[in-house]
Amino acid sequence: MIETLLQTLLNGAASGGVYALVALGYTLVFSVLGVINFALGALFSLGGYLTYLLMGGAISANGGLPGWGLPFGLPFPLPLLVLITSLGAGLVLVNLLQMLMGAEGYAFPATALAGLPDAVVLGGARIRSVQVLLLAVCAAAVIALTLWLERSRSGRALKAVAEDATTARLLGINSDAMLRLAFLLSGALAGLGGGLIGVSISLPGPYVGIGYGLKGLAVLVLGGLGSVPGAIAGGLLMGLAEALVPGEASGWRDALAFAILFAVLLLRPTGLLGRRLVEKV
Amino acid sequence: MIDNGLLVQMLIGALLGVSVYLPLAAGQLSLATPAFYAVGGTLAALLSTTWPALGAGADGSFPLASFLLELLLGGLLAGALALLVGRLVLRLQGIYLAIATIALVEIVRVAILNLPFTGGAIGIFGIPQPFPTAAGYLLPALGLLALAGWVCQRLEVMPLGRAMAAIRNDELAARCMGIDTTRVKLTAFVLSAVLAGSTGALAAHFLNTWNARQGSFDTAVTMLAFVILGGSRSWLGPVLGGLLLTALPELLRPVGDVRLVLFGLVILLGPSVFPQGLITPGLLERLGRLGERAEREPQT
Repeated sequence: MIETLLQTLLNGAASGGVYALVALGYTLVFSVLGVINFALGALFSLGGYLTYLLMGGAISANGGLPGWGLPFGLPFPLPLLVLITSLGAGLVLVNLLQMLMGAEGYAFPATALAGLPDAVVLGGARIRSVQVLLLAVCAAAVIALTLWLERSRSGRALKAVAEDATTARLLGINSDAMLRLAFLLSGALAGLGGGLIGVSISLPGPYVGIGYGLKGLAVLVLGGLGSVPGAIAGGLLMGLAEALVPGEASGWRDALAFAILFAVLLLRPTGLLGRRLVEKV
Repeated sequence: MIDNGLLVQMLIGALLGVSVYLPLAAGQLSLATPAFYAVGGTLAALLSTTWPALGAGADGSFPLASFLLELLLGGLLAGALALLVGRLVLRLQGIYLAIATIALVEIVRVAILNLPFTGGAIGIFGIPQPFPTAAGYLLPALGLLALAGWVCQRLEVMPLGRAMAAIRNDELAARCMGIDTTRVKLTAFVLSAVLAGSTGALAAHFLNTWNARQGSFDTAVTMLAFVILGGSRSWLGPVLGGLLLTALPELLRPVGDVRLVLFGLVILLGPSVFPQGLITPGLLERLGRLGERAEREPQT
């Protein structure tokens, strides 16, 4: 009993880690630009496929590639247009993937883990090593991102832009460069998530990222828009909540994230760790 | 190239565009239309295939009166749902409202996928046909669009429509002027849902089969694109956007697999080429002046 619980919790934490990555991707762009980058789900798929294609037998962060070269940072005055543009970018990406790779699923080769045992038995619980690896990579990415944001010059500059872009520019920070950096990192996080999910589960098709993108959105609101610790906590919470859905109701599992999202929006629109926004007149 | 079937699809697209436009005219970015569309369609599919009193024939025929009743019922059910949900979600603003409505769409989709009586992933098929050919659907679709257009046109001179425009420009100022903003936003939301529900009922019969995929996040995106590319300042914008963008993937069919990529590119680049949409306020003004001149001329 305790073994199954342990296994369930680990599964939950692993998918929660990926949700957290996606939510952090949204958070980075949202905090500097105040918009949601809806192309993130497609970037997640792209990351999965790139990792699959570039996989040289070992886990690599190749999924991080898609952040590069995205046509973002386009100066749009209206958030609504940015929203549509990012949706369009996502549509293009997913359909390009479908065109080039087909609609069929891809399973990663067994050599993907390079000699790691498939699973270890720990006190009666069978723990897939890929899950542990996934959790470790997520944790490493999250810690690295947090350290960078808190300690490094460029990270602090990004936070300054998020706080107040005009003041940051007056202080000599290149706001536009920071914006591009935020987009790049955001895409890299989502792509990394896609690569990890591909290795641990497989890629069921180009639309794999859309579902994760939407869940990431739920996590984003759960944790509080623009809050980094909120995105991490929200991701883990969401993963664990989903893992605890009993098997008989697994069809409804996908609705859980959105039911939670709905409840959070209504009870505490600022999210768990979000800041209260005061409407200025 | 454009046959009657595609024309009906284009009209359905225009109707859904108007449904997304209505809350937007009150400044509310709601993506809930696919949820109400799915609800209306599912109701029509269920009623016509399981309720013998509606008079579905063994040969797949269906009485016109029952079809019209379903349009009404689909609209009413979606409207009732919107009344219930709207009270809760319309307290949210901006991107929060958009995300909440996406959540609604996903919940409805998963519910249709998992409820015991909606046919699961396959859905409901063999929905009886009130018309022998696709051309028959043109009339009800056009009628519905004319009705929706008439309502939108009337709204522009009615206190309700004026209040919607005021909220769109500045919600706080509108509230200060004594406008019951919650009530106005809720009315726009319910109107949008009624239209989407009726359209769903029409589409279910037209498509002959109905499943959970009809109302998904993807559909929400496409419908929003109808409004943004068509122009969000007048109901004519979403109509034009819906007609064009529904036809586009079909017209691009000859180019093969690239067509959906091209379709995505149109949505991606459209806002930078036409930031105000195809039907801009300037264009409307010019059209309005032309209309005035045409009215004046016979007298001179």
